[in-house]
Amino acid sequence: MPIDAPDEALIALIDRVASRDEAAFKALYDQSAARLYGLALRIVRNRELAQDVLQESFLQVWRNAGDYRGHLSPPMAWMGLIVRSRGLDFLRRRTAERTNVTEPIDEHTQQTLAGNAANPLDDAQASQLARALHQCLARLENQQREVVSLAYLRDLSHRELATQLRLPLGTVKTWIRRGLDQLRSCMARYA
Amino acid sequence: MNLAHHPETLERLAANYALGTLRGGARRRFEHMARAQPQVRAAALAWQTRLSGMTELQHAVAPEPEVWERIHNLVRADIEAARMQHARAAGAAPGTHAQPQGWWRSLVALRALALAGVVATLTLWVSGSNLRTQLEEQLVSLGGQLNDARAQLQASPQTAYVAVLQDEKSNASMLVTFDPRKRTLSLQRVGDFQESADKSLQLWALPPTGGPRSLGVLGEQRIVRLEASVGDVASVPLLAISLEPKGGVPSAGGPTGPVLFKGALIRNGQ
Repeated sequence: MPIDAPDEALIALIDRVASRDEAAFKALYDQSAARLYGLALRIVRNRELAQDVLQESFLQVWRNAGDYRGHLSPPMAWMGLIVRSRGLDFLRRRTAERTNVTEPIDEHTQQTLAGNAANPLDDAQASQLARALHQCLARLENQQREVVSLAYLRDLSHRELATQLRLPLGTVKTWIRRGLDQLRSCMARYA
Repeated sequence: MNLAHHPETLERLAANYALGTLRGGARRRFEHMARAQPQVRAAALAWQTRLSGMTELQHAVAPEPEVWERIHNLVRADIEAARMQHARAAGAAPGTHAQPQGWWRSLVALRALALAGVVATLTLWVSGSNLRTQLEEQLVSLGGQLNDARAQLQASPQTAYVAVLQDEKSNASMLVTFDPRKRTLSLQRVGDFQESADKSLQLWALPPTGGPRSLGVLGEQRIVRLEASVGDVASVPLLAISLEPKGGVPSAGGPTGPVLFKGALIRNGQ
């Protein structure tokens, strides 16, 4: 499978960042920050926290750019995993600090569960991997897609999903199972 | 069970493992099998890779400009710390250009160290998150103090300089912010240090050239405000706090007591 042009450009930037090129770092930020900030917002659901997640993630990218070549992921996925990991750190930390907080359902999730939102895809930027996943996710019903997405992005168990989404546990389990089954048969075509 | 002989079950378990919905004993059993059986390991990796694309499928939102400013500052501090470490490793002994006073010289030598430390601490403090476990636990034990300080800082957009002063064990002990509009240095105690009744803490600016300059003597309250001009602060890379006789000592003679806390002053956003 050939490497995407946008991937190649980002990989070149990451290589330059690894050799402490500040201009390349700024360029990498300019090209990826909005997407990664959107991801951070989706995970932590709080502007201030998401800014902190983005900040720590980019500091990590700056410090670990030299390690990127050892990863097999496309560059956006690599940075996305860093943001997810930092975001989950923040969530775990906040849960530890405030055990009695009930999280409101965010607007995006509400809309998606109501059935009128789909995953966006930035064609100019997305890796082939993301495009395949996007197409396969698009075949799921909105509810299944949202539950699968949230399980992954926020690292939630069946039970936690049921609580956060105010859904019966059995419903969540069924949607996840069907969602994954469909993703599996769809993704197999891109393997 | 040899999962390699049950491809349907393997795929289902691997998908749930990568998604994060496989929990508890079932997760541990799967991990155990993955270590023993390459097919299981391969299925888990394949699903982790597929799902990692999920991070690219969220709505893009332009971050506020100050986020880049903060990242840029931290990266600059990183570069500075690496540069000084490199210089020290190359044998460029500090203090060869001049013969400053004893403790001043040791502070110059410690500057790289302090900078490296302050990067970690600042990140922690600005974000209230991770990095070193030890500091993390300490921050948690400090309760909401740092979060409060962060909130205060963000509520005052004119705060242009920040420093986290640390003791020799790199425990954050004092948070310093400078508001150029009000020409005020605010010091907030975040550690549990309390000087005895016959002593005072004194804040010093350590400019790149010349000796230490007193910025004022701290009262015993948790938050202390001192008047300072932009010129007092703008060109100063490092702040330090020494333990002095009650009421402090004159600026011209420099500190007479031990230096308890020090840290780099970093321009904050804007």
